[in-house]
Formats: sequence, C-alpha cells, structure tokens
Amino acid sequence: MSNMPSSPDTQSAPDGATNEFDQPVEGVSLTKDAWRRLKKNHMAMAGLVLVIIYAVLSITAPILPIHSFRHQVSVHRDLPPSFTKTAGELWYERVENRMTLLAERDGRSQLNAEERAELAEIRDRIETERRVIDGEEVLVHQRRYLLGTDHLGRDMFARILYGGQISIAIGLIGTITSVFIGIVLGAIAGYLGGKTDYFIMRFVDVMYGLPYMLVVIILMAIFGRNIFNLFLALSLVSWLVVARVVRGQIMSLKNSEFVEAARSMGASQTRIIFRHLIPNTAGIIIVFATLRIPAFIMQESFLSYLGLGISAPFASWGSLVSEGVNRMTSTPWQLFFPAMAMTLFLFAMNFLGDGLRDAFDPHSKNRL
Amino acid sequence: MTQYIVRRFLGLFPTLFVIITISFFIIRVAPGGPFAREKELPPQVLANIEAKYNMDEPLIVQYGVYMYNIIRGDLGPSFRYQDRDVNYYVFNSLPASMFLGLVSLSIALVLGISSGILSALRQNKLADYLSMSVAVIGISVPLFVIGPVLMYFLAIRWQLLPTSGWIGGRNGWAPLIMPAITLAFPYFAYIARLTRASVIEVLRSDYIRTARAKGLRESVVIVKHVLKGALLPVVSYLGPAFAGIVTGSVVVEQIFRVPGLGRFFVQSAFNRDYTLIMGTVIVFSVILIVMNFLVDIVYALLDPRISYK
Repeated sequence: MSNMPSSPDTQSAPDGATNEFDQPVEGVSLTKDAWRRLKKNHMAMAGLVLVIIYAVLSITAPILPIHSFRHQVSVHRDLPPSFTKTAGELWYERVENRMTLLAERDGRSQLNAEERAELAEIRDRIETERRVIDGEEVLVHQRRYLLGTDHLGRDMFARILYGGQISIAIGLIGTITSVFIGIVLGAIAGYLGGKTDYFIMRFVDVMYGLPYMLVVIILMAIFGRNIFNLFLALSLVSWLVVARVVRGQIMSLKNSEFVEAARSMGASQTRIIFRHLIPNTAGIIIVFATLRIPAFIMQESFLSYLGLGISAPFASWGSLVSEGVNRMTSTPWQLFFPAMAMTLFLFAMNFLGDGLRDAFDPHSKNRL
Repeated sequence: MTQYIVRRFLGLFPTLFVIITISFFIIRVAPGGPFAREKELPPQVLANIEAKYNMDEPLIVQYGVYMYNIIRGDLGPSFRYQDRDVNYYVFNSLPASMFLGLVSLSIALVLGISSGILSALRQNKLADYLSMSVAVIGISVPLFVIGPVLMYFLAIRWQLLPTSGWIGGRNGWAPLIMPAITLAFPYFAYIARLTRASVIEVLRSDYIRTARAKGLRESVVIVKHVLKGALLPVVSYLGPAFAGIVTGSVVVEQIFRVPGLGRFFVQSAFNRDYTLIMGTVIVFSVILIVMNFLVDIVYALLDPRISYK
C-alpha cells in the first residue's frame, strides 16, 4: 500500500481536500498545523524540551534540596566544584597546602606546633560546626558544592538556579510587556488608519531612530538599578517591532471577507480588532516573543556587565557571568558554569524560535 | 528618486530634535546632580558653581540655551573634567570608535555573507553545520565573555597579541585585531544566518528555475540572480547591526582599553556629567540616523519593488 492515495475512497479528509502534492488534508487550525510541523524539527523540539526543563527547575527552585543562594560561608570562598569531596575536606586541603608551602619556603620539612594546632581546630570544626541557614540547622562543612562556590563562599549551583529564575523572568515580563503595547498600538494604527495611524507610526519611526541600548544605559545609570527600572527601560523601546508587524498584518486583513462579515453582523470595532484581527497575527507574535526572550536576557547581561543590572545579593545569569569574567584565570568555574547555563538556554530559545518561524511560515501551510 | 532622498534627508532633523529633547529632560529630571558629593558642599559654594554652569535658571531656559549652542556646534563645557570642553573629548575619541566600528562591520559583512552563501549551497552538509554552529555561538555568547576569553588565550597565554592599546603605538595594527573580532562576532553570526535563510528561499523561487532552465551556468545563476535577491534582507539588517556595533563598542572599548567614545559613556552617566552624556548621545545618534538613512537609500536603489512616493 503506497502512502499516496490512489482513489478518493482512501482519503482521510471527509471533504476530500488535497494540497498541491495530492496529499489528503484535514481542515486544521493554524496553530495545530504549525505544531505538527514543529514536531518534525528535531533541533526545535530539543530546544523546547530544554526550555521546559529550565522552566520547571526555576519554578521549583524554592522546594528543591539546594543550598541557600545568599548565605556566605567565609571559609568556603572560591572552592572548586567537586562531586566527591565535602566543603570541609576542600577547605582543609587548601589550608594544609598553603601551610606546607609556607613551611617549605622557610626551609622547614614539617609543620610547626602552631600550624598543627590550627589544622586540628579545623578538623574539629568540620566535624561539629553547625549553622542556622534559612531556619534550618546544618553541619555547614559537610555540604557539597557541585559547581563550586563564588568569591564570598556562596553555592554556585544555587546562584545559577536563582539567577536563571531572574533572567528568565526578565525575558518573560519584558517580552509580555512589549508584545502587549505593540499589539494594542499596532492594531489601533492598522485598523483605524488615517491620522491616528500617521501619528502612531511617526512616533514609532522617531523612537526607532533612538540609540536604544544607550537610552537604557542612561536610564539605569541615572534612575538607579532596581528591577522595576530594568523592566521599564528594556520594554520601553522593544515594542516597536511588534507594533509595525501587527499594523502591517491588520492592514492586509481588515478588508478581507471575514471582517466584512463580522461588520455586517454588527460587531463593534473593538470586537473586530480583538476577536477577529489580532488572533490572526498570533503566529508572528509567538515567533517574535520566543526570539525576544533571549534578546532580553542578553541585554540584561550586557547591563550587568556595565554594573547596571541586578544588584547583590540577588543574581542573574548576566551578573554571574560578568563577575566570573573578572576572575576567569584564578577561578574559571565561576565563569564557566553560569556562562554554560545561560548559553544553553539562549541556544534552546533560538532554536525553538527558528523552528516556530518555519512552522508558522504560511508558505508551508498544509505541507506534510 | 531625488525627491525621495531629499524628503528622507529632511526627515532626519525632527528625529534628531526629538532625541536631543528626550535625552535632555530624562537626564535632568533624575535625582542627583554633577555636584552632588558624599560630603555636601556649603550651599553658597554650590550656588556659585551652579550659576557658573547656568544651572540656577529654569530648566526650560537651560534647554533653550543648550539647543542654541548645539545648533552652533558647541556641546558645552564638561561638568567633570574642567580643563577641556565636551567637543574636545568627543571629537578626539570619535575617530577610534568609528574606525573600530567600520572595521568590525566589514569583517561581519564579508565573513557573514560568504559563510551564509556557502551554508545555503551546501545545505545540511558539513560546511553548513560547521558555520551555523559558529553562528549560534555568536548569537548566544555575550560580547563580554568572548572578549576576555580571546584576550586570555591570544594575549596572555600565547602572547600573540597585545592586551590593550591602539593602532599607531609601538604594536602597529595588532591592537585592532581582538576588539574588531569581538565586536564583529555577533553580527557575523546574524548576517550568516540571515544570508543562509534568504539564499535558500531565493533558490526555491521560480525565476531561479527559469534561469537554470535557460541553461545558464550555476556560477552565473548564483552570482547574477540569487545574490541580487538574497542580499536585500542583509542590507536592511545593516541599520540595526550598526546600532548594535555602536552599543557593543561601549563594552569592547572598556575590555580592550580602546581610546574611543564608548568608554566615556557609562562613566559620564554615573558622574551625572550632563553635557558629556548629551554630547555622546548626540554624536552616537547622528551616526545611527545617518547610517539608517544611507541603508534606506541603498535598499531603495536595490529593490525595484519599493516605490519612492
């Protein structure tokens, strides 16, 4: 039995619709059609799975059994990542190595009594020292730091996880804000046309000429670095593209038959815009949004590097990476792990966005 | 066409005017000022200093004075560096920034377009996967990671290039290499992906089938027919790319200590050096607006489907 239908009887579509390759076609919605095509794109699906994993990890971070992201243990500064050794062992090793080195420099073959006493005290502390962290009493030197610690003795794994939470939130909230503003203004301009359209689009043109990141840098430097300003500054200008795209779509759709039908049935302008026109721009907006999230995360990291992003004790991937860069040669894991976490997420988002763009591409509609 | 160019050119001035106005007021309404110190100045001293810089007058008067000076080409005195005025700083550091930007843009264009075409012609082959993987790295890894990592390997570990400095010193042209590569990398990546996608799309179009059916040689089809259509999206991306390169230079100039305009930018914003921030913003905006204008004109010349009305 060949895959190609030989007679109308074998076609699955009840109305017998076929595409240009004579393949049977069911009447499916735009999103369903896109989803089917997306599933065939392995890179995009891998991206989607990764994004979901990241999302689940960030949401469940507070209930996961991880160390505090803000508690500083001063003797655990700059510990390298280790699966097998506890923080205490690493700390002890480091102190012992330094003492041996000092002793060698002084020409002694053995540690003196004072140094041995200090080591004994450390051994004792490792076994017994307890601390109350986030309301829980723990044997602090028995912890394991899978991804090492930072320069203040905080767990890198927790910082990367919570940093991801903030970075992803920035990406999401920024995108939602910019998409919302863009849709509303774009739709109004496209549907009403005339003077309204002229003013909105001239405004968009002028804003487009602004050196966007430079304005954001000024806003952050002058109004202070807090999360609200960051969102405001980042979403202030990024809605322009959405507005332009939505306006274009709506202008091409507003004279179509289904809009005329709705109008003849007495639907109000708001109803036509929000129930009939905007849903038809969903594909483009979804694609824009997925590609916008990594862009926001990148921009936030850029601001963090300039010292204008998230401030301590909170972290974002950007702030972790920019802290890591300064200590790249002495403690490379402080750069490597956050950079990997961020890059992997951006990879995933970019592949997913590209896949979605192909999937929503109207040229491929109904292709199998 | 001439009419279109003239109209577009005249349209540049309102944009610039709005940018200057918005930045002026954003910067001024913010709390804190250039003379706010940890140790407060006596009120009389502060008043004297403010009078010297016209800051005792109403904001709108200051705005008028500033605009009048701008039109005469005077960016005013710096609030922080008292020996020179803003014009001196801006125009002494502009050439380095411009040169770095143009070199980076050229690298990004040449490498991006050629690897994009290569990928599209060898779709899903090794060369395609290779150059697209490099491109994805360029898109997903921030500039300020690429820069220091390059510096660590090329300058510190292997001692091939100087860590900082600028052309004209004892190292000749070598100090240009790392900043230019760092700055070009993300835009190389975008351009490569863009070129690949649009070449693939054009290759599928009917007029290419026609060209092949006529029996043209493959090289002629690619160079004369495919590229002409496929490079349009790249041209329209040039505007945003240049904006990104200007912004990126703020970071790259800091990493490699390039004596350009970018390094003043963040520092002057922190210092509330009103005139120096404004000067940098204005110069950057003029560059961007002019670049966008040129890109639009090139685009209109290349694409016969655009009408100039």
